[in-house]
Amino acid sequence: MDIQFKKVNPHPLNAIQHSSESIWNSDFVLKSGTKVLLNASSGKGKSTFSGILFGLRSDYEGSILFGDKELKSFTKHDWTTCRVSKISIVFQDLQLFPELTVKENLELKNNLTNSFSLDEIQRFNQQLGIGDKWEQKCQFLSMGQQQRVAIVRALLQPFDWLILDEPFSHLDEENTTICLDLINQRCDALGAGFILTSLGSKHQFSYDHKLKL
Amino acid sequence: MINKLLFKNQKKSQLVIALIGAFLGIVFLLLSVHYSVRINEFGKGADVLGPNTLIVQKQVTNASTLNLTKTDFSLEEINKLIQEPFIKDVQPVQSNNFDVSFETSDPLVPYFRTDVFVQTIPIDFLDVKTNEWNWKMGDPYVPMIMPREFLVMLNTFMSASGIPQISDDLAKEVKFKFKLWNDDKTERVNVKIIGFTNEVSSILVPSSFMEYGNTVFGKTERKKITQILILGEENQFGLVESLMQKRGLEPKNSQLIVGRLKSIVGTLLFLVFSISLVAVFSSFLVLIQYIQLLLSKNNYEIKTLLRLGYGTNLIIKKVHVYFIKLVGLVCCVSFLVFLLIKILIDQLFVKGGLYLGTQLSSLSVIVFLISFILFIYFSFRIVKKDVNSLFV
Repeated sequence: MDIQFKKVNPHPLNAIQHSSESIWNSDFVLKSGTKVLLNASSGKGKSTFSGILFGLRSDYEGSILFGDKELKSFTKHDWTTCRVSKISIVFQDLQLFPELTVKENLELKNNLTNSFSLDEIQRFNQQLGIGDKWEQKCQFLSMGQQQRVAIVRALLQPFDWLILDEPFSHLDEENTTICLDLINQRCDALGAGFILTSLGSKHQFSYDHKLKL
Repeated sequence: MINKLLFKNQKKSQLVIALIGAFLGIVFLLLSVHYSVRINEFGKGADVLGPNTLIVQKQVTNASTLNLTKTDFSLEEINKLIQEPFIKDVQPVQSNNFDVSFETSDPLVPYFRTDVFVQTIPIDFLDVKTNEWNWKMGDPYVPMIMPREFLVMLNTFMSASGIPQISDDLAKEVKFKFKLWNDDKTERVNVKIIGFTNEVSSILVPSSFMEYGNTVFGKTERKKITQILILGEENQFGLVESLMQKRGLEPKNSQLIVGRLKSIVGTLLFLVFSISLVAVFSSFLVLIQYIQLLLSKNNYEIKTLLRLGYGTNLIIKKVHVYFIKLVGLVCCVSFLVFLLIKILIDQLFVKGGLYLGTQLSSLSVIVFLISFILFIYFSFRIVKKDVNSLFV
């Protein structure tokens, strides 16, 4: 499913003069199944971009078409369906439930679609180096471990697009590469694309498309 | 797991206080409604006069004996009474304007005859079946309602004659006759007792028979209205009583005592009902406020669940069903406690010689259900509004 942007300009960024390369106030299409890197420094609107695509905010001018449907016309029910089967996200602030265990956090997401068995989920954790944290409450994990839990959680559903809002900010290069490999595998398996926002690093990955703010 | 997230951050003491409030409120609400119904029903069907009905006459004083004041009612006086807000209706009691005597006509009962005074009360004021209370020329008998004092007098006569006394039911089977006469003619008609009254001191007959007697055997001078029927509003006997005192009217004492008691108990129960209603609605309001507080405290959890893909309807259902179960449990316990208290109170009434109906009043069940349904409705509206507002 393609995402088409038509002269989108978020209200909080109205006062800023955007460069000609900026995605704001320009027309472009994110083709289905492509891997996109959105690179920008702080305050340029990376989280705003993620928030708009995930339906968390609608304070923008212009138009975004999800397939052939205008994003602003989505109802609550449309968004709920979309968040279960079309778009998945790793929030910058992770949005885990700190008092729940890793297992419970992941089960909460997986229960919506039953995409994986508990063993399969645990294998993802092991792959990312957090297999031993299964029964631990998330509030007792380090930020890097929590980021990996959030990444696994985002993969536990079918999706066309995966939005990754600075998902590796607390991970070293090695763990970042492992995570990106898993993300890439899952996206390839689903024929889905991802949009990774980053503060500048390309994380040694070859993207299909790069966006600037 | 979702419940674990949604119902954490609860301040249980506030919830317990609200639920205790709801429990007490519902118990007292049910008791007050149930006993209001039963007290209002008390006395209905026990006599021929309908509820809240009085037969009154003017007080007889020395002045009236000397013909200085009137003891009869003018139409103007009757109209003034009707205009009072606590009086539903006023009707004159018609009396016979012809000579009539009452006599036994049964071989099993010794002959007994006495001149009597008969009266007619409009059917609307009587608590009798309308198909029994009519008469036309050619009918085999005239139905009549006998004052119980009259039966006592008859039994005294029977006893003195060495004949066994008769019960209410047997009296209804004994054959009696009315003898109507004037200077020109005499007629005897069969009479059947269909009921007894403690409230009226004269023999009651259907209005058609009264008309017949007055037309065929009536005297020329017009009969004065010396008694009237007053139908008062429910639980406003105090006002009716004050008015009667003011106007120099007097009812039969027993009627007034029952009416006064019903009025006092009715007022007390209304007070309890009002307080209970306030208690129930206050506790429901506290519960609804508690739900709002809970949703607000778990704002992050709800928002995150919605972002993960959980639908608003599921969250609304989880929260709403939790509180319905809680309040439903309190309602069921309240209802059981109400039934237990009711059994105890009924036993106390029976011991005290007050035979109220013991069957559960349907109105109390309706009030109970309405309270619960109102809670379900308003709590649903609040939960729906608050959860939807968290959808971002």
